[in-house]
Amino acid sequence: MSRLFAAAPRHRLDKLWPWLCAASVALSLLMLSALLTLLLVRGLGHFWPATLEEITLRSGSVVAGQAIRETPLPQEAGVERLYFKGNRDVDGVSWHWVDIDDITSRTTPHDLIRLERAPWGSFIGRLAAVETDQQSLHGHEAWDYLNNALTLPANQRPPGQLLLVTAQGETLRQPLDSVSQALAPNAMSWWQKTHTWGTNVWQFLSEGPRAANTSGGVWPAIFGTVLMVILMSVIVTPFGVLAAIYLNEIAHQNRLTRLVRIGVRNLAGVPSIVYGVFGLGVFVYGIGGTLDSWFFSDTLPSPTFGTGGLLWASLTLALLTLPVVIVATEEGLARIPDAQREGAVALGATRLEMLTRIVLPMATPAMLTGVILAIARAAGEVAPLMLVGVAKLAPQMPVDGEFPYVHLERKFMHLGYHLFDTAFHGEDVQAAMPLVYATALLLVVIILVLNLTAIFLRHYFRRQRGSEC
Amino acid sequence: MTPSRVPASYQPLRQFKNRVATGLITAGGIAVLLAILAIGVFLFWETLPLLALDKTFAFDKLSPLVWGTLKAALAAMLFALPIALGAAMYSALFMSARLRSRIKPTLEMMEAMPGVVVGFIAGLVLAPWVERNLASTLVLLVWLPISAGLAGVLWHMASSHWHRRLPFSWAGLWLVPWLVGMVALAVWLTPLLEQLFLGGDLRRWLEQRWGMDYATRNALIVGIAMGFAVIPSIYSLAEDALADVPLSMMEGAQALGASRWQALWKVALPAAGPGIFSAVMIGMGRAVGETMIVLMASGNTALLSASPFEGMRSMASAIAIELPEASPGGFTYHHLILAALVLFLFTFLVNTLAEAVRLRMRRRYHKAGHY
Repeated sequence: MSRLFAAAPRHRLDKLWPWLCAASVALSLLMLSALLTLLLVRGLGHFWPATLEEITLRSGSVVAGQAIRETPLPQEAGVERLYFKGNRDVDGVSWHWVDIDDITSRTTPHDLIRLERAPWGSFIGRLAAVETDQQSLHGHEAWDYLNNALTLPANQRPPGQLLLVTAQGETLRQPLDSVSQALAPNAMSWWQKTHTWGTNVWQFLSEGPRAANTSGGVWPAIFGTVLMVILMSVIVTPFGVLAAIYLNEIAHQNRLTRLVRIGVRNLAGVPSIVYGVFGLGVFVYGIGGTLDSWFFSDTLPSPTFGTGGLLWASLTLALLTLPVVIVATEEGLARIPDAQREGAVALGATRLEMLTRIVLPMATPAMLTGVILAIARAAGEVAPLMLVGVAKLAPQMPVDGEFPYVHLERKFMHLGYHLFDTAFHGEDVQAAMPLVYATALLLVVIILVLNLTAIFLRHYFRRQRGSEC
Repeated sequence: MTPSRVPASYQPLRQFKNRVATGLITAGGIAVLLAILAIGVFLFWETLPLLALDKTFAFDKLSPLVWGTLKAALAAMLFALPIALGAAMYSALFMSARLRSRIKPTLEMMEAMPGVVVGFIAGLVLAPWVERNLASTLVLLVWLPISAGLAGVLWHMASSHWHRRLPFSWAGLWLVPWLVGMVALAVWLTPLLEQLFLGGDLRRWLEQRWGMDYATRNALIVGIAMGFAVIPSIYSLAEDALADVPLSMMEGAQALGASRWQALWKVALPAAGPGIFSAVMIGMGRAVGETMIVLMASGNTALLSASPFEGMRSMASAIAIELPEASPGGFTYHHLILAALVLFLFTFLVNTLAEAVRLRMRRRYHKAGHY
């Protein structure tokens, strides 16, 4: 085979191969940064108050809305632009495709406003007047009155109605207490927009979802994720550390322990969905069903513990991350020189004293790294949760003022599943997309921060240890 | 024996505490290990009822799922293997040490990217884009390697001034803008070529000429998305294996007149072979079990088709969709647990094989004492 290639070209090819390898690194970096940039731009850009346009079409009709994107039509037939125009209560749809060639004028008037309302989502149009019991305000007065009223919580606002006019000229009345936000983005300065952006981001983090997950925030999902992860780490840490100590310090090191060690390591590679199946079969149907028949037989057949819930999800994920903790702790234990142990025992310490005073303090960083890695893995897992306990929209939070305050049997919301559900099962996916991007960004940021913490901790402690030895 | 500082009356208590604690740790440790073992036992136990039923029926229902799983994993490996192994070779043997200490953790961080995010981008952003720009995508798959080679040719033709400013050991970084430019060029040029040769629409041409249907979410998309997800694990393990090869072996080969690439190809690769094999196996295990990416990027149609432009349904995604609705004890329930058992056994065996190979290799080099 090599005879076929003369020496010179062969050598030249040898010079090209490394370039393909270098390009692989470049391509991986490119894909990673493209993904992160996409998430950053789309996820954070959504909260920026977008300019509202008013366009007049050749047919004479007027559309007011936010330009989303442009798509070329097939067969070179021009370009279409998608507008978000809100007002779902007026004409049933909130999206409008416009052929660019049809547009005769395109303006950005300062008096266009955008309201966020409770039942119907966005309104885009103009504010004609504010009517209260005593008076009727117009123009600037009305706008100032509205903004003042919005600083109060909805139930403390004075009774009143907004008289709104759409771009087409239809009027509608909106009760003041159903409005959550009013913006006139075209009239805002750069600083005001930044301020609004901050407020919007905060609302996204601190509020519950509205309008079938197409607006509002993800607070219940953040809360559910964090609560589940905390429960999971409370379960997984002691058991993982216990198993690691047993394997490394107590069990006789022979062929069997080696096999067990390989087995544990390999369980980290078993697909998460398999753990989900185990959780569903054993925890939910097995243990949960038994608990129900013992303690909650009065509510049967509607299950209490016999269905997915917070406890079962945490247990399943704890089992899933157990190998991570065991492996990390064991690595930490194995790095401690035997001289330390022998020294402790030689000075008269029992094994327990040797473990608790010498070995465990030295292995703490490794355990911590293991737990953080376990948390990072658990926070991103969605597949097993689909089997053991997440909900589209949990009506009740798992923690509230009712006894016993933490309801382990309740379903909960999870960031990852929330993302999946809104993106693939939502009613209006188009409208939910910006929020999906924001949720994805949030999830990625959480996981990256956790992983970076683990890397940093490992690095830090290793360096510290290095100076000791 | 020196007298202990602890009064003698505490000694029995200390010994007792020690014994109790040791017993507790042993019991706890064994219990945890048994709990892990219980996964396998449970899966076996729950598939037993299927034996009572007609076996061929269960296997008939399982075969499209197995096919879908293998198809998705194969597509992912086709995309991931060249990139991951190429990246591993470059970063272990050519890259500057300073760059490597930054790039390696960055690429390993890719592994932490949650599947649900990758799946979402693949299903709702990548899939519609590829559907509109199918020709560009296919051209890109060929054009990117060519453009990398082109960069190499240009570099070798350039003066030594450029060689100093853009050293090859940093090429992994400065090739990024070059690739961006090449991608842009391909995306801009391909529609013109498509217009010239295929009458403007590759998808229609495919359908008329070869009778191939095009589904928006298909094996191509899954391959790219899941490839992206498994690149870091393959890369990281393969890079470790290559970096573990004693430097003296490479240096010996080069001293005997081999070029750097020949030394890599003839010496380092065979030596690191087992490690690379185990990296590939672990990547395969991940690709087979990944749920969310296949669920979101594949369309979930249980088809038996080999076309890269059609969807599939994998075992993992079938479990995720159907199991919550299956009544416990019913046929579907046991059937899906059989799928889970297959997944479990497959990944467990593959990982054990990989681990055994890796350990053996590591022991060999440590025995050879490579410093």
